[in-house]
This record gives sequence, C-alpha cells and structure tokens, in this order.
Amino acid sequence: MTTNSYLIKEGYDNLNKHGSKTISTMLIICATMLILGIFIIILQNVNSNVETLRLEQGLQAFIDDNATDEDIAYMEDEIKLIEGVSEIEYMDKNEAYEDAKNQFKNQEYFLDGLEQLDIFPASFIVKFTNIEEAERIKADTEKIDGIYKVKYNADTIDAVISISKIANGFLLGVGIVLLVVSIFIISNTIKLAVYSNKREIFIMRYIGATNGFIVKPFIVEGAIMGIVSALISFIIISIVYVYIYVSLNTSYALGVFKFIPYSTIWYQILLAYIVLGLFIGIFGSAISLKKYLKV
Amino acid sequence: MIEFINVTKKYDHDVCAMDNVNLKINKGEFAFLVGPSGSGKSTFLKLMIKEEEPTSGKILIDGKDITKIKKKDVPFLRRKIGFVFQDFRLLYDRTVEENIIFALRIIEASEREIKAQLKAVLQMVGLTGKEKYYPNQLSGGEQQRVALARALATKPPILIADEPTGNLDPKTAEEIFKTLLEINARGTTILVVTHAKDIVNELSKRVIALDHGKVVKDDAKGVY
Repeated sequence: MTTNSYLIKEGYDNLNKHGSKTISTMLIICATMLILGIFIIILQNVNSNVETLRLEQGLQAFIDDNATDEDIAYMEDEIKLIEGVSEIEYMDKNEAYEDAKNQFKNQEYFLDGLEQLDIFPASFIVKFTNIEEAERIKADTEKIDGIYKVKYNADTIDAVISISKIANGFLLGVGIVLLVVSIFIISNTIKLAVYSNKREIFIMRYIGATNGFIVKPFIVEGAIMGIVSALISFIIISIVYVYIYVSLNTSYALGVFKFIPYSTIWYQILLAYIVLGLFIGIFGSAISLKKYLKV
Repeated sequence: MIEFINVTKKYDHDVCAMDNVNLKINKGEFAFLVGPSGSGKSTFLKLMIKEEEPTSGKILIDGKDITKIKKKDVPFLRRKIGFVFQDFRLLYDRTVEENIIFALRIIEASEREIKAQLKAVLQMVGLTGKEKYYPNQLSGGEQQRVALARALATKPPILIADEPTGNLDPKTAEEIFKTLLEINARGTTILVVTHAKDIVNELSKRVIALDHGKVVKDDAKGVY
C-alpha cells in the first residue's frame, strides 16, 4: 500500500469512525445543495427563456417613401456598420402589409382595401447582439438619412433585462449564504474529528509525521463527504426535475414559459455539484485544520 | 550525538527553566537524566525535539544545530529521536502490529521495510507472537514494550524514555531496563528520565542531575 492510498484509507476509516456525525453532516450538506440546485435550475430556465425573448426582440426602422433602391442599399450598409447589430432584414411594402395581416389574424377584414392605399411603409428589422445596447443602436439608426422613424418595444426589453438581473442577483446572494453554511458545517465536523483524533495526532507529531501526512486523512474525509453529498443531491434533483418537466411542460399552465430539457443541463448540474462538493469539503476541512492543528 | 551549548530557556515572567546548560552525550552512550519535579527535565526533552525553542544557546543533534532548522524540517529531526512515554501513548483501537506499522507509515516506509522492521522490533522487545493482540489485552510491561517497539521501528539513532517504568512494578521495570540496555548495545544512544533510584544506582551508568534548570551533577558511573 502506498502512503497516499494509506492516507485515503485513513480518511475513509475516519468517516466510519464518526458514523452518525458523518451522516448528519451529509444530510445537511445535501439539503443546502438541493436548495442551491433548485435555484440554479430556476435561473437556468429563466435565463433560457429570457434569451429566447432577447433574440426575438429588435427594432424596426422605417424608410422614407421616396427612397430609391440605391438609398435603401446605402441605409442597409450604414445600419450594418452600427456596433451591436447582429442581423438586418429588409421588409418592403408588400411584406409589411402581409405582416400586418399576420398580426390581425382572423380579423383581416380590418385591413381590407388598405393595400391599395399604400400606407404600409418599407422598413428594416434590426436584431441586436446585446439587448442592453438597444437604446444606443436606436439612436444611431435614427441618425441615418432616409430613416424617418425607429420604434422598438422598450417596455418588453426593459422587463427582460430587469428580470434577468434580479434572478441572477438573487441566486448569487442565496448561493453565497448556502456556500458559507455548508463550509461551516463541514469545518465543524472536521473540528470534532480532529478532537477525537487528538491522541493519534500527538503521537504522529512525536514520531515525525509531516503536516501533509497529518492533514491528508481529514481533507479526504471532508472531500468524500462533499462528493457523496453532491452525488445524492444530483440524483434527487434529477428525479424531481424530470418529473416536473414531464408534468408541466406539456401543459399550457405556464404560458410561454418553457422548461429546458434535462438532457441539455444535467452535465452542467453534475459538474457544478461535484466542483462545489469538493470545494466545500476541502475548504471546510482546511479551515478547521489551520485553526485546530496549527499547520 | 546530543550537545547543549550555553542553552538558556526562559518562560514568561522570567521563569528560568534551563540556565546556561552545557552538556554532551556521545553516540552510543546510555545516560540517565534525573532531578526533582520542576528541575528542567521536561524542558530539556522538549528542547531536544524542538517543541520548545531556547531563549539563547545552541543545540546540536547529530552534529546539526537544530535551533536553526526550519519548521518544515522538524518532522525529520524527530525521526532521529524515538520517544517512549510513561503512559505508553498507544492507540488502543489498533493491534500491536498496527501500532508499530503506524510509525512506519509515518516515515513512509515501503511494504518490504514495514514487514522486515515489524519482525525485527517485535523480536527485539520480546513480543513475537503477540502481533494481533490489542494493548488492553496486554500487561503494563508488555504495553511499554509495544511503545518501545514503535519507537524503535523507525530506526532512530537516539531513544528518549520519559519515566518508562513509572507505571510498572519493580520486576517489570527491571525487565524494561534490561531491554533498553540491549537496545543500547546495538548502538542506539539512550537518554532515560527516571525517578527509579534503585535501578539507576544498580546499573552504574552516566547520571546527569538537573536542579532549577542547571546541571548540578554529571558522573560517568553515577548514582541517583
């Protein structure tokens, strides 16, 4: 047996030695991880829906009636040059009429006869790479000769931005609190483990154990608790998510809100949990070891 | 092997535990360190393993000034010094052989070395056949032998025994000293802190007496 495998075994034995404490610690870590996981999933879903909304948003720049084809080509080039424009689409008068008809679906009679009046102006539909720059892109577009009006759905865009910001901020806050709680719990368990191994540690020091040799089993103990908690939490959250996805996504109860399929996020959640579990376990142990072992 | 040069150790409030001590214990020597409680014996041992730092002076172990070594090198200094305590300090949830292997793991010995050393030290202290016993299944004398075996397993050139027979009856104590002499005969430098007056007088070895942090007596074939 190599020294490292011996130290891993010692760490594992410590877990068994402090059985009930280990289980209660892992249960609490699981609970905090589950809450954190729920928030991450909610955020991912909100962000995904926000992203869909973002991509759908854009502005419409109306073109003067007397603009020639050359003028239109010039305007298109100018708009393309504006920073933050991802896509531009020209809509001529006929298409504008068709678009209006689409918007008045089942009530097309409102538009009867308007086609001949030529009241639907040609326009450019402009999409952005970043919705937060909409205001600036609107201003730049308005400056272009031949564009007489620019409109965009400011309210929707503002709402999308603020929903996304609030959700992200809230998750960050909750995440930090839960992380601190988990680290505190692990560090407390390791503190007790250090106390119960006091005699052993004393002997180790006299025999000539290096600090690394003394601390490794405790780090292993913390890391195992973190990883096992992460895996249990992952299994629970996967089952719950798939159940909710199947039950709710097929109904119309949520309106336009669509759940992300679990197959596209499970690996992100697993990875986040494992990294988090390892971090909580190792960092939590290290705090206690630094404080109580004076290493 | 062990050399104290003008070593002074003062604790807070100017309590002087070691007062300008000059002392040399040669390689392969067997010496007793005696003195009343508070005479400085414990401080002497703590200074040797760098658990305490002297206020002034030099301490040489195996020719190296340990007052200058870095914190990270302290474990390697301690591997040169085997330690036996009055209360044995065994791990009671581990068997005799596990207690000994525990020490060998600490110095990162290979599997082969572990096997060979385990056999050798058990034989040296007369515990062959008791490998699978737990300390609580053994007598006090046998438990001290396990402690001795554990201290010797790492092959330290120096062995310190702090009141090794303090908890044992006279006959068992005598046996332990007999084993210590055998270990010394194999070349290990031994320093024994003891109050066992009769044994000290009987063995006629070097006796260093401390009092109030000073060496008050140092006789090559001394008595208590």
